[in-house]
Amino acid sequence: MDVTFKVYRKDPEKDNKPGRSNYTVDVAEDSTIMDGLLKIRDEQDGTLAFRASCLRGYCGECTVKANGRSCFTCTAKVKAFTQKGPEIQLDPLRNMPIIKDLVYDWDAFLWNKIKAVQPWLEPGEPASNGGKPVTESEMQDLRKVMSCYYCGLCDEGCTVLPVDFDFLGPAALTKGYRFVFDPRDTAGKDRLKLLEQSKGIWDCVHCFEATEHCPRGIDPTKRIMDIRDKAFKVGISNERVARHHKSFAASVKESGWLDEGRLAVESEGLTNIKGLAALLPTAIKALIRGKAPIPYLHSKRPGADRIKRIFEKGEKDNK
Amino acid sequence: MKYAFYPGCVSRGGCPELYPAAVKVSGALGIELEELKDAACTGAGVLPQNISDPINARTFAKAENLGLPIMTICSTCQGVMLQANHRLKSDPEYRAKINKEYLAEEGLEYKGTVEVKHLLWVLFEDYGVERLKSLIKRPLTGLRVSPFYGCFLRRPPEVVVPTKAEAGRKTYLNDLIRILGAECVDFSGMGKCCGFPIITANEQNSLAMVGKHTGEAKDKGADCMVTPCPLCHLNLDGNQSKAEAQEGRDIGLPIIHLPQFLGMALGFDTKDLDLKRHLVSADAVESKVNMLT
Amino acid sequence: MNEFDVLVIGGGATGLRAAIAAKGAGASVGLITKVHPLRTNSALAQGGLNAPLGKDDSSESFTSDTLLAGDGLCEVDVVSTFAEEASKEVLWLEHMGVPFNRSQGDQLALRRFGANSRSRTCYADDRTGHIVLQVLHEQFQRAQIPAFEEWFVTSLVIDDATCRGAIALSLRSGKFDSFAAGAVVLATGGFTRLYSPSTVSIGTTGDGQELAYKSGVRLMNMELIQYHPTVYPGKQGLLITEAVLSEEAQIVNDKGDKLEKLKNSPRDKICFAMNEMMQNGSGSLFLDLKPLSKEKILSQFPQTHELVRAVAGLDVTKELVPIRPVAHRPMGGIETNAAGQTSIAGLSAVGECACNGLNGAGRLAGNTLTESVVFGKRVGEAASAYAKGLQKKNFPSTQLSDEEKRIGGLISGQSSQDSSGKIHAELGELMNGKVGLTRKGTEIQEAQSRIQNLRVRYSKLRVKNTSKIYNYELTAYLELGSMLRMADAVALAAQARSESRGAHSRVDFPDKNDVDWKAHTLVRLVDGSPKLEKRPVSSAR
Repeated sequence: MDVTFKVYRKDPEKDNKPGRSNYTVDVAEDSTIMDGLLKIRDEQDGTLAFRASCLRGYCGECTVKANGRSCFTCTAKVKAFTQKGPEIQLDPLRNMPIIKDLVYDWDAFLWNKIKAVQPWLEPGEPASNGGKPVTESEMQDLRKVMSCYYCGLCDEGCTVLPVDFDFLGPAALTKGYRFVFDPRDTAGKDRLKLLEQSKGIWDCVHCFEATEHCPRGIDPTKRIMDIRDKAFKVGISNERVARHHKSFAASVKESGWLDEGRLAVESEGLTNIKGLAALLPTAIKALIRGKAPIPYLHSKRPGADRIKRIFEKGEKDNK
Repeated sequence: MKYAFYPGCVSRGGCPELYPAAVKVSGALGIELEELKDAACTGAGVLPQNISDPINARTFAKAENLGLPIMTICSTCQGVMLQANHRLKSDPEYRAKINKEYLAEEGLEYKGTVEVKHLLWVLFEDYGVERLKSLIKRPLTGLRVSPFYGCFLRRPPEVVVPTKAEAGRKTYLNDLIRILGAECVDFSGMGKCCGFPIITANEQNSLAMVGKHTGEAKDKGADCMVTPCPLCHLNLDGNQSKAEAQEGRDIGLPIIHLPQFLGMALGFDTKDLDLKRHLVSADAVESKVNMLT
Repeated sequence: MNEFDVLVIGGGATGLRAAIAAKGAGASVGLITKVHPLRTNSALAQGGLNAPLGKDDSSESFTSDTLLAGDGLCEVDVVSTFAEEASKEVLWLEHMGVPFNRSQGDQLALRRFGANSRSRTCYADDRTGHIVLQVLHEQFQRAQIPAFEEWFVTSLVIDDATCRGAIALSLRSGKFDSFAAGAVVLATGGFTRLYSPSTVSIGTTGDGQELAYKSGVRLMNMELIQYHPTVYPGKQGLLITEAVLSEEAQIVNDKGDKLEKLKNSPRDKICFAMNEMMQNGSGSLFLDLKPLSKEKILSQFPQTHELVRAVAGLDVTKELVPIRPVAHRPMGGIETNAAGQTSIAGLSAVGECACNGLNGAGRLAGNTLTESVVFGKRVGEAASAYAKGLQKKNFPSTQLSDEEKRIGGLISGQSSQDSSGKIHAELGELMNGKVGLTRKGTEIQEAQSRIQNLRVRYSKLRVKNTSKIYNYELTAYLELGSMLRMADAVALAAQARSESRGAHSRVDFPDKNDVDWKAHTLVRLVDGSPKLEKRPVSSAR
């Protein structure tokens, strides 16, 4: 069958501006998009640049947007994309820096970010047989997380990356999870500190886009939340976030619900004159409109003492 | 139609216009609400799970004792509760542990039977679109409205859309805008994050998101934006002028709460909907609406 | 120019392990790889890696099973060393973070795999290769070894019968550069892309073998190509791990008859039996995973479930999967001794590109990844020791510009009716058909003359793409050149070995002939043509 591929082009040796080339190629009925691209490169245009490796869905290399849908060219069947007509438009993933055509700058998008989380186990003393006592359920969880094949789709779906490309992103942070929750890792608190740095776990908005986009069901958003929960238990090293979380927990513990005014003030820090001053314009406007919850003038809910008991129990378990 | 009402913290804190609007509009629709007065904050994704799950289990147990499903008016409450409920329902051992260690002391036990639904879902899934249509007194003709769902009303997928039957949840707000007679102005940020969760950790990024989404809707011609989440409202409305300053552009897009929006179509006097509390003036919207009858 | 004590070429499991070991032994190390390490063929390995860790197991039993699968062609000393070191290396992997499956508390779970007589295969679901590769890459990064990713080595630098380094092309910049090294370690993987269909990644094209071969090193046992029995055929064969056969899955024909009695047989025997069944009118063969429960499939074979659906559109929990034996891995490769050294000083080879006598005429299932780490480590350490003991010499500097000119001469900008892809497609079909699972002298001869025709066509071909950055037309062209030379060597060796042994099955010589052929075939380039030599297997201890 004849299919026309409309492929994104960008040539760093020419004007380096996004363009498009159209190729019509005859492919077998059960072809994949990769088959089409390889044939085009072989017979029509040897300059077309795209990466390929495993050809079967193992390695995560060949992600692309075909007619607006994210897929792997090596497993995407041409038939599935030509239902409405014999044209397939191929574009790079969103947020992705491009070197040439469909060759992505994986270093900038992914590999460098993974390097930033110190992606290796720090093993302790060697054991004689079978390693340290670990459980199968811990190992199973790690295997699930390590089924990640660095396809970049979670980063593509991320809400933060379009406004802040330097955010480490779900893929790198999930790689961090793999070590934080590996009982054999001895890097402990240092590793958490690394993940809590600027552009790390506290910059995540936990919107669950990453989870929705992950083709392997790894649930990257939950992994980031789990690292955050662990940091909360161990002691959050990011001071601003620590103040925020402490204040939130304190007002719910004491009253059963959130004292937002207190939260705003304590997040800045009671001695942070500059920060508190910066809150004033919005606070005053809100006061005038009748929208500002006055800090500390905050009633206790019925049942607050029950909530306090839950906190006390939970905090004891955290020790 | 009766629900155990869970209003959350913000609807009586930073967005005090939301609670009365929700109660009034539910009344007008004929949805009976029994408020869970001693239920506590869901944790909003800030409190760690080992504390927030017991707190939410307690809330569920109380609703279960009333024999009522829970209705929320905040995407964040809805999402956090839905995820907690999913964990408690799908893992009986976990639920038993929470019951034993946390709830038993108060004489409570969560058996795993409670449903939690946001008002938006209640309208489409329990209440019925036809019944809603029959109560519209003031179709919002000519009003151009962009929807902003709030992340937790759309994700994570296995919890929000567990079966094909719930697939509509991805478009209810767009549909509602049209049902109420207004024009729905789609834009790419409809289902994205407003930035509120990082307003403390990274204000710059948070404001950039506010600017991006409100700016895009404004550029597409929206008169206002409607949102089912007061936390989104706090950022999109409360911090909109800060976002304008940071991003270097004017926006001035009014942000309306879902119950206020419903109230407008149900024929409420706009004065009763507390729109004057918003930090981004909704006067233009009010005038437009008041001209329709 | 870049200078290292040890230069590792190849970024898969073996190359990474060798680099880590060389660095650990005190050498300065650089690694060149034409694809990112996490995209290499190692990621496709599934079933597990062998180690005699079980209570009822021993290195003697492991040695014996390996020798049996090797059908008389193994070098016994190499096998014994391998069997003795396997456990230590596998435990090292665990210690570095591989989350192996566990059983009974925290013991490593061991499954019975292929023709292993004991349960000795450790595994990580059905993604063992993918996970082991990640851990190796993690430790590689921890060792802070410079990695030249997406650099394509176009030639080795040989001076005065010694390997001095390599010249490589950066895909990203389009520039060439020299890499001077005291010791070069080739860990470039196999060459099964020569066959169509195959089970391997697109870059598995024998580049390392070609580099060594061009420099005068002999290629050993090239005719021995292992076919894998349970492969979904398609255009790219999708391998389904035989571990499913150890877990009650069955091979059936379209009438539902089961292929019994083949459990725990070596791969070649299963392939021959399947081939016979298909040729005797049994029709197509299928893999039936239905005897496993859905829960078991999803928890133990999640990747299998996922990829069979993605590639074949089939649900293994409900449907039969068509299978056929498909070309999988070579046993043969660059001739080396037990320490990985080739006949050229300063040049070693290890892993699937090499042949040190471990695998004989048939690789025992589950040995491949163990081989990667056991010999990766040994060869890396040996290379380090060698390089550190060297005197510094000047690097022959004209080689770089010569190489740039040579490659430049391959690019013409003119179009032609012929193409690398067309030649490759014909080559793959030819090799699978005439030098494939079962062979016959007359067919191999036909193949040899057709390979020559393809080589003539190739010599007339030029690369039309003149761009410097990411010129994949050029790399595909170079890879095809490697494959054509490998084809020559495979056909010559297959023609020569007039017996049937292990994976090599000659219809015209159906019996094993220990008198004449308990020997390794060796192919060497003499005046540009492949010449065959023989070397008897060393006597057993």
